[in-house]
Amino acid sequence: MLERYWSITSSLLPFLWQGFLETLYVSLVAIIAGSLIGALIGLVRSQRVPVLTSIFGLYIHILRGTPFLVQLYVFYFVLPNTGISWLSWDSRTAAFVALSVYTSSYVAEIVKGAVEAVPRGQSEAATALGMTRLQRLWYVIIPQALKLTVPPMSGVYVMIIKSTAILSVVGISELTRQGEVSILRFPRDVLFIYGLIAFIYFLYCYPVLRFARWAERRVGAARTVDLD
Amino acid sequence: MTWLLDYYNYRIVAQYLGRFAEGLSNTLTAAGVSLILSLLLGTLVALALLSSRAILRKPIEGYVAFIRATPLLVQIYLVYYGLPALLPIAKSWNDMYFGIAALTLNSAPYMGEIIRAGIESVPRGQIEGAKAVGMNYGQRMRYVVLPQAFANTLPPLIGQTAVLIKDTSLLSIITVFEFTSAGILLNSERVRPNESFLTIALGYLLIYLVILLLSRGVKQWLAGPAWNAQG
Repeated sequence: MLERYWSITSSLLPFLWQGFLETLYVSLVAIIAGSLIGALIGLVRSQRVPVLTSIFGLYIHILRGTPFLVQLYVFYFVLPNTGISWLSWDSRTAAFVALSVYTSSYVAEIVKGAVEAVPRGQSEAATALGMTRLQRLWYVIIPQALKLTVPPMSGVYVMIIKSTAILSVVGISELTRQGEVSILRFPRDVLFIYGLIAFIYFLYCYPVLRFARWAERRVGAARTVDLD
Repeated sequence: MTWLLDYYNYRIVAQYLGRFAEGLSNTLTAAGVSLILSLLLGTLVALALLSSRAILRKPIEGYVAFIRATPLLVQIYLVYYGLPALLPIAKSWNDMYFGIAALTLNSAPYMGEIIRAGIESVPRGQIEGAKAVGMNYGQRMRYVVLPQAFANTLPPLIGQTAVLIKDTSLLSIITVFEFTSAGILLNSERVRPNESFLTIALGYLLIYLVILLLSRGVKQWLAGPAWNAQG
């Protein structure tokens, strides 16, 4: 029995490794692209820019109020159907864009929260020194807010890794999809193969979760030192 | 309104209204049943996590870590293919039961963490005070800890419920006919992506809006007197 599982594992491992690399790649692209878009939106929202703040608020609510699976279908089926040439993308681009946009909605709220958590006195002191709004943000607020974003951003990163599994639905050859294809080769070992897949996801996510918990304690401890 | 028909033909949606309603009712059933079951299981998880006995705490910690570090979709597959092997009764289950089982197992650790944090947030002085007036464990929980923990857990539990409702969309993959499946059905029969997927997106948004308003109402209600003890 054990030998059988061992031979399945060793024959599938190179194939699953390919899938893991794609999962790694998609999750990295999504966290980087999503963070860039999200940081911009979060900063704008924290500064209460008229009109833009409410437009971005709507953007965040739409992305948070619908399941990622439905968003993926919209990016995969609806947008290429609009007839706009640059939106008629292939499934891989649709998947990457959908996941990045989804990520940005979570990052935006984290960034907004972190900027607002920096004590007001900091901004007031910078104003007293004659700094402009952008200078205050760049030299005073952002460096302090950045630290506060680390624990929740690690949580978002885990969420993204887990969401990449859903991309298997539109045929992206990531880990879950490779697992499904493997089952065609070993139809009797469905459960074992999904267990193996779950284990590989666990190896990727668990260290990030531990880091998130560690960072939470660090940032939490540092904050109590602040007198404001 | 005829220009709208090119982009969004609501007449087609009207033809499928019965299917959408059927899907929506299955979505709400799956979410509702999983919510109740995961609150029960989550309370047990919270009590185990708070327990000082390692033999109780360690296995539950492992379960929580596994759920948090693996994708829901993979968990759904594991339950769908694994449960019939473990539980002979499950062989006669329909897909909905597997979906509810998977969602419950997935949701319970998150609910449990929220409940645990809520119980821990009750100031120690409250428990010491209750001990000082001679209350036993049951009385302390019933009259002192749980009412205060309730106020601290209700808002995040509502948030987690919103996540649970969105997660039911993944049940479409194991062929449960829920709300997303209704959209997929329309698209496969008529090849009208806009009418299919924009409709379900709108439906989920409306559910989310209701939860959002509920959550704001609850926060306002809890902000009243006598809930949060100071100290």
